[in-house]
Amino acid sequence: MLIARNLRKVFSTGPAVDGVSLEVKRGEILGLLGPNGAGKTTTIRLILNVLQPDGGEVTFDGKPFSMEVRNLIGYLPEERGLYRKNKLLNTIVYFASLKGIDSAGAKRRALEWLLRFNLMGYADKKVEELSKGNQQKVQFIISVLHDPQLVVLDEPFSGLDPVNQIVLTDELMQLKQRGKALIFSTHVMDQAEKLCDRICLINKGKVVLQGDLNEVKQRYGQNTIHVEFDGSGAFLSAMPIFKKTLLYENSAELLLSDGLTPSEVLRDLSQRLAIRKFEVREPSLQSIFLEMVGAPAQGISRPAAPRHGKVSS
Amino acid sequence: MTKVLAVARWEYVEKIKSKAFLFSLFFMPLIMIGMGVIPSLLASKQDTEPRVFGVIDQTGELFDSFDRRIQEDYKLPDGQPNYVLRRIDASDGLDETKYRADRLVLEGELEGFLVLTPLVFQDSAAEYRSRNVGNIRVIERFTQALREVIFEKKLRTSGIDPKIVKNISTSIDLRTVKISERGEEEAGFEKVFFSAYIFIMMMFFLVLTTGQLLVRSVVEEKTNRVVEILVSSCSASDLMTGKILGLSGLGFTQIGFWTLIGVAISLKFGITLIALDNALLLLVYFVIGYLFYAAIFVAAGSPISTEQEAQQITSYLVLVLILPIVLALPVLQNPDSLFVKVLTFVPLITPTMMAMRIPIQMPSGGEIIGSILVLATSTVFAMWAAGRIFRTAILAYGKRPSIVELIRLLRIAT
Repeated sequence: MLIARNLRKVFSTGPAVDGVSLEVKRGEILGLLGPNGAGKTTTIRLILNVLQPDGGEVTFDGKPFSMEVRNLIGYLPEERGLYRKNKLLNTIVYFASLKGIDSAGAKRRALEWLLRFNLMGYADKKVEELSKGNQQKVQFIISVLHDPQLVVLDEPFSGLDPVNQIVLTDELMQLKQRGKALIFSTHVMDQAEKLCDRICLINKGKVVLQGDLNEVKQRYGQNTIHVEFDGSGAFLSAMPIFKKTLLYENSAELLLSDGLTPSEVLRDLSQRLAIRKFEVREPSLQSIFLEMVGAPAQGISRPAAPRHGKVSS
Repeated sequence: MTKVLAVARWEYVEKIKSKAFLFSLFFMPLIMIGMGVIPSLLASKQDTEPRVFGVIDQTGELFDSFDRRIQEDYKLPDGQPNYVLRRIDASDGLDETKYRADRLVLEGELEGFLVLTPLVFQDSAAEYRSRNVGNIRVIERFTQALREVIFEKKLRTSGIDPKIVKNISTSIDLRTVKISERGEEEAGFEKVFFSAYIFIMMMFFLVLTTGQLLVRSVVEEKTNRVVEILVSSCSASDLMTGKILGLSGLGFTQIGFWTLIGVAISLKFGITLIALDNALLLLVYFVIGYLFYAAIFVAAGSPISTEQEAQQITSYLVLVLILPIVLALPVLQNPDSLFVKVLTFVPLITPTMMAMRIPIQMPSGGEIIGSILVLATSTVFAMWAAGRIFRTAILAYGKRPSIVELIRLLRIAT
């Protein structure tokens, strides 16, 4: 569906996107991951032709960007807002008309979507009367109303409560099942892990990791221990048997040093902690992310200075 | 193109419904009417004493019937005649008599006087001379009475055939001449100044209304980041064109509505409308000039991202708009000087210069074609430059770019 090759964009402050290539197919969700300021939003803007790249190219089904392509794309920008003073239904119809939908059709579809999201009562209300979460749902409606082939969502979950996160997740899965190509950016790895088929991790304007999610995780080996426990796990980060520790309040992710078996570790840990869960599998996306972008591994509670993860390969 | 129209429609329809717009639409005329009507209500207070006017009647056959009609029609509440007319002997030549009568006016003997030459039958032209030519009621009454007197006279002396009826039913063109110690001044000056003034004011209002709305709407779309959705849905130039179209439509609606009210009031109160000669030619200048200003507003407005900055920039742009008004006086005093001719070719002030020059003295065809070409070319260039700046600047949220950066925007191919 969408292929971007070697995209480059240089601002006066330096290159924001430096040779990014990515691809997303129909019926697939691509997670665009990266820390703040990594160049995710700029990459998205280049893909959508909001910004013109300084280098590289973007093709849709093999064709370059054109006016027709614009109508096949839906976009939910990161920093959201809408016309505050205008009525909800009119606003939705306006955006649809910019995607080439006639106003009668747009109105019909808008009402269907409002019904679906339980927003029917707000159709004639001003946008500013809606809660933030509801405004965000409206933005989502705007990005998909014209039945786009490619939907690009920049941080779609930020600001949504858990219930609406589930509602949105359902919608994304449905879009995927209907054969749409989706790109969504986030820096919340749990969401990416749940939703994405493929990931593209960007740091400092460059792709540092890309591929099928499961395959990427397997690349990082099967020797990561996921443990849940009661009590204080502070000592874990000081244990030399782990190459890397990610410590949370009541859980930890531990990368085992070579030559040790998980059962030895379990025996050791069970003497000092009340273990509730012990699992050996590939590392979480979170830990891969932290490793790739070079941030220190840190837990939520760290009574002692955390041990920095060593890069393993 | 459909997207341009979609943007234009949105800007027009949504803004026209806004309370602020409706308020200004109806409130402005009320203020204008208030400012126009209240003083004239005060001015048209009933007279309590007879007022003395003179009549120089070269035809020798109008004074009596005119006098009779004025006496009959206009009386003071106590029954005295409102206007006392004195016949001024014109036997020593028209110029000499006028001079003598002017003195009488300046000395306070007469409030003003009418000059009726035989021309009154041919051209229906007469002259009213006074210290104060702003006394609309007197002028109106005299004009009315004179019209009727002449009408009668003409009917009597000629056989009534349609041609004559048409001829005599044309209204009297009363030439008003203001007398002052410096001698007489053509009231036509005021007419020219006034019509040019209306032209400039209309343009001023239109540019300001549209420009402000434009800057506002860009700022709003930047603040709420809607601009990202817009630019991913249509091209930046579609967006810019749509905005200019929609908001200009709004401005023209406003001006059109006010003009209508103005015309209605003028007709109702019998105020003579100042007809713009060569209206079509002036319209050409108006429209192209307007687009030129719009481009400036787009270029200056699109890099802005807060309301405060928007207000700041608007006040700067007002200065640009005022410039032609400042230059208006030297032009009127000397419409044919080289200086004025050169100014005519400066795009920013071409429309105003022409608005003043055309009614006074038609500039040569070469000047007209040349200035339109220069103005149109500059407008195309300005629009192109504005489009460039707009395309990049609407996505810049941070600080306002400097002039140098703006120039860089123009140079680089983005």
